[in-house]
Amino acid sequence: MNGAMSSDPRQRILVIDDEPQIHRFLGPALDAAGYEPLRADSGQEGLRAVALWSPDAVVLDLGLPDMDGKQVLEKARAFYDGPILILSARDREVEKIEALDKGANDYVEKPFGVGELLARLRAALRHTGKAAGPLGPIRLGEVEIDLDKRLVTRAGEKVGLSPKEYALLARLATSPGKVLTQKELLVAVWGASHAQDSQYLRVFIGQLRQKLETEPSHPRLILTEPGIGYRLVEP
Amino acid sequence: MTGEPKRPDPEALLAAANKASRGRLKVFLGMAPGVGKTYEMLRAARRRKAQGKDVLIGLVETHGRRETESLLRDMEVMPRRPIEHGGRVQMEFDLDAALQRKPAILLVDEYAHSNATGSRHPKRWQDVEELLAAGIDVWTTLNVQHLESLVDVVQRITGVRQRETVPDSALSRADAIEFVDITPDELRERMAAGKVYVPETARLASENFFKVENLTALRELALRRAAQTVDDQLVAAMRERGVEGPWAAGERILVLVGGDAMAGALVRTGRRLSDMMMDAPWIVAHVERTDRPAAGEGSAARVREAYRLAEQLGGSTVALTGGDIVATVMAYARRNNVTQIVLGKSVESRWREVLGRSLAAALLREARGVAVHVVTEATHEREPRPVRALGLGRWQGYAVGALFVAAATLAAWGLDVAFDRVDLGMIFLAAVLAAGVLHGLRPALAAATVAFLVYNYLFLAPRYSLAIGAPTDFITLVVFWAVALASGGLAGRVRDQALGSQRRAAAVTTLLAASRTLSAATGRDAVAQALAEQVAAAAGGRALVLLPENGEIAPFAGSPSLEALDAAQMAAARWAWEKGEAAGFGTGTLPQARWTFWPLEGVRARAGVAAVEAGAGADQEPLIMALLEQGAVALERSQLATEALETETLRRADRFRSALMNSVSHDLRTPLSTVLGASSTLLELGDKMSKAVRQDLLVSIREEAERLSRYVANLLDMTRLEGGALRLRTDWTDVRDVLNAAAQRVERRLGQRPLSRDYPDRLSMVRIDASLLEQVVVNILENAIAYSADGSRIELAAYEDRGNVVISIEDEGRGVPPAELERIFDKFRRMEEPSDRSQGAGLGLAIAKGFIDAMGGRIAAASPIHDGRGTRMLISLPKTIATPHDLL
Repeated sequence: MNGAMSSDPRQRILVIDDEPQIHRFLGPALDAAGYEPLRADSGQEGLRAVALWSPDAVVLDLGLPDMDGKQVLEKARAFYDGPILILSARDREVEKIEALDKGANDYVEKPFGVGELLARLRAALRHTGKAAGPLGPIRLGEVEIDLDKRLVTRAGEKVGLSPKEYALLARLATSPGKVLTQKELLVAVWGASHAQDSQYLRVFIGQLRQKLETEPSHPRLILTEPGIGYRLVEP
Repeated sequence: MTGEPKRPDPEALLAAANKASRGRLKVFLGMAPGVGKTYEMLRAARRRKAQGKDVLIGLVETHGRRETESLLRDMEVMPRRPIEHGGRVQMEFDLDAALQRKPAILLVDEYAHSNATGSRHPKRWQDVEELLAAGIDVWTTLNVQHLESLVDVVQRITGVRQRETVPDSALSRADAIEFVDITPDELRERMAAGKVYVPETARLASENFFKVENLTALRELALRRAAQTVDDQLVAAMRERGVEGPWAAGERILVLVGGDAMAGALVRTGRRLSDMMMDAPWIVAHVERTDRPAAGEGSAARVREAYRLAEQLGGSTVALTGGDIVATVMAYARRNNVTQIVLGKSVESRWREVLGRSLAAALLREARGVAVHVVTEATHEREPRPVRALGLGRWQGYAVGALFVAAATLAAWGLDVAFDRVDLGMIFLAAVLAAGVLHGLRPALAAATVAFLVYNYLFLAPRYSLAIGAPTDFITLVVFWAVALASGGLAGRVRDQALGSQRRAAAVTTLLAASRTLSAATGRDAVAQALAEQVAAAAGGRALVLLPENGEIAPFAGSPSLEALDAAQMAAARWAWEKGEAAGFGTGTLPQARWTFWPLEGVRARAGVAAVEAGAGADQEPLIMALLEQGAVALERSQLATEALETETLRRADRFRSALMNSVSHDLRTPLSTVLGASSTLLELGDKMSKAVRQDLLVSIREEAERLSRYVANLLDMTRLEGGALRLRTDWTDVRDVLNAAAQRVERRLGQRPLSRDYPDRLSMVRIDASLLEQVVVNILENAIAYSADGSRIELAAYEDRGNVVISIEDEGRGVPPAELERIFDKFRRMEEPSDRSQGAGLGLAIAKGFIDAMGGRIAAASPIHDGRGTRMLISLPKTIATPHDLL
């Protein structure tokens, strides 16, 4: 987050996409939303731009002609830790999960409305900013999660959680609004040897919803990203 | 055995696995009729029935013995089936009814029985085999003298040759043997008491079959055989469990058979030797000598018979070819680790033995470390030696010989008159020589005798008398005969050799031709027909090929014509198809059929069945077998080719589908992303934007919607082409109009690119579908626009070239790499990174080619066209016959 080099005080968003038509509307849209749009038309160009400009966030299309989008992601992550949003097709779940596991912050499915992209972008920019600071209690409606005190309350009353339930909720709460892949959650809570046991997740997420959601069958706090993972809503 | 003796023999395990689903065979074995086998069997059966087993009596011969009959009471006995043949009706065991009834245990008396003509199998043991295969346990009875390998021995003991025999393998297959024994004295007492009234063996009895010595010997044989079968089972069990043991002594027996009467006896000796050596593998071999005439008909038949017998007795067979018997045999023996060689010595060859030239002696000299067993011929088995026939009929040879002698006489007479003291004997010698060379031994000998008589009578003193004047004249006679022997024998051998190699060459030629025809035939029908023709030609009779159709075998091809088969023939055909064994005429199954059916065994599976008319090609069996083998492989190959074609078609369809999916995924989504993105931007942020930016977003929305529409149209065109639903509406068309219309359609997308048109004033009309051609030109123009920089020229031209109207579209883009040039018309083919991706999908050129092909034209691309840049697309449309323009 080094705005000193630029004369423009706005946050800079780098869009890496080979489709000129996407730039044609994303540029004006980002501009109108108060960001400074930067453009790269290929993976190579994009990596150079990331290194050169150190943008505040990156929007990366996975389908690039010159190199695999996931490769761009990996290489960028070697020197860049700002938020990276992925543009990907709906039928490419595996690709999405891989990208998320390789360090992407979130994804937006093509075709997308500009409102959705901007909302995801705002969320991503927000918690990279927060992650640096100390964690305060997170309030989600009537539920409050205090990671420092290891305390979860609902309407002021303490909610009794098993150690694994707490660990799962805590992992989700460290990055609210961000989608976490099943593998990421499983490794964090149960360890690397259980990275494929997604049925654990289904059971424990169900238990958490029973304890925290007002309407467990219609969850509003812990959202499922089908085939990808889960995300905790943003406060 | 190898270094891992503990591992169970896989073949033994396989045999055990096969046994599991098979029925179990129990044989009640006895030394002679009357020992009480049937009685014992029935008693055991009653015990089983009392235990609740489903016991059925298929057939039992009581021979009127009351004790035996009483045992049949309360037992379920199957009715017999009448079989009519030649006006006689015989009541036989009903195999099909038994198979249908499928009892747990079935009793079938007299294992060695020969079925009435007209039954499915000629022998009862074959019926039993089928029952066992169907999973039915069978109990049967057998007297030891009926065992095939013991036929010689029993004959030696009793002087009676058994006609009803059972191959030894049929007994070895028994899972249990119960030895029914009484002492010879007891048996004789029972006979005396009238308890053994045996009409069947009345003849044997009368020939003193039941003498104590005979019975003792037979009893010993039966005991030994029973013990040996138990032994075999022990060995099999040990092998199955991988127990290390002495069974595999590594013995391997080679039985040499010739085409003489001893062949059968030699084969049986081989089997007995194998028995003595813990079932050592044994091979029956016949050496065909390349330096000798091909074996005569009778001899070849006896070799075939020996092979068949060997296979029945559980041995394997091999045909060896070589010039030197000893070298050939020893080479084979060393290659196959043979430890025992069995051969016969015929009476005729004894004089050779005196000279130390017998085969046995030669083998003994060569066979180091190999035991040689020599079996001598039993004199009564001798058969008259077939007379060797030579090229011409015999009397013709003698006549020609006589002519030569007559000519020699005339010549000698003339010489005698003209000159003095000529050795006229030489003239006659020439006649003998000529007769020998041309007609072989016997005519030569006859000519020599006649020549001597004439010479003696006419020219030797005393003249005109047959009296012999000087002892030297005898020498003349001996010389004549010697010349006749030498020349005749030599010529005969040369001729026979020529005949032999002719025959071998003919077989090789037939096989080569068949192989060529079969490999040239494409498709199952053609291969089947070619095979039928080749087999018919080789057999010299009718032949059919039957192939499976929906699991049922049916005649598929035939030579000279395809024939339908009646139920009896089809039964044999089905047998060959299902069991993989020969069936029908001349085989052990359904021999009364009018065809012989052979399974066509391919490498992977059975390909079908071939049928040869009864009686045809009996002497050509090896050739026919080779043909069938080739045919089976060819049929299989055609099958594989069909499958490969289907797979390829599927694979292509699959590739098309995945290319289509990719295309839809990318080329539909990108314009949609733009439309959705730009429109949502306008809706949500439009008030914060300048008018110019808003305008640009609206333009991009329209452009992308157009792009989508073009893409959908392309997809539909492609589907029409792929689905064969393209319908041409052809009419006389001026190509220039079409080019202008196409140019009009792309005008807005041209940007700053100047489009030049170069048309002649007069251009022939062509009969085409104008709307399709317009689409083709549009697609090519769009392609040109997509791959060339703004401001570069695009040139549209039309002209006539010989019988064609040619359209040329040139751009100044960066061209197509040579490697890509031939693939640019492929579906979903798109060069990397077009400067403007609005073309999309890579379908444009594929559609262009499809449409042009449909109109009978041709399309081609050339690149680069100048300075390493640019692409030229040429469309050539035929002017058909005379165009209206030419008529004007």
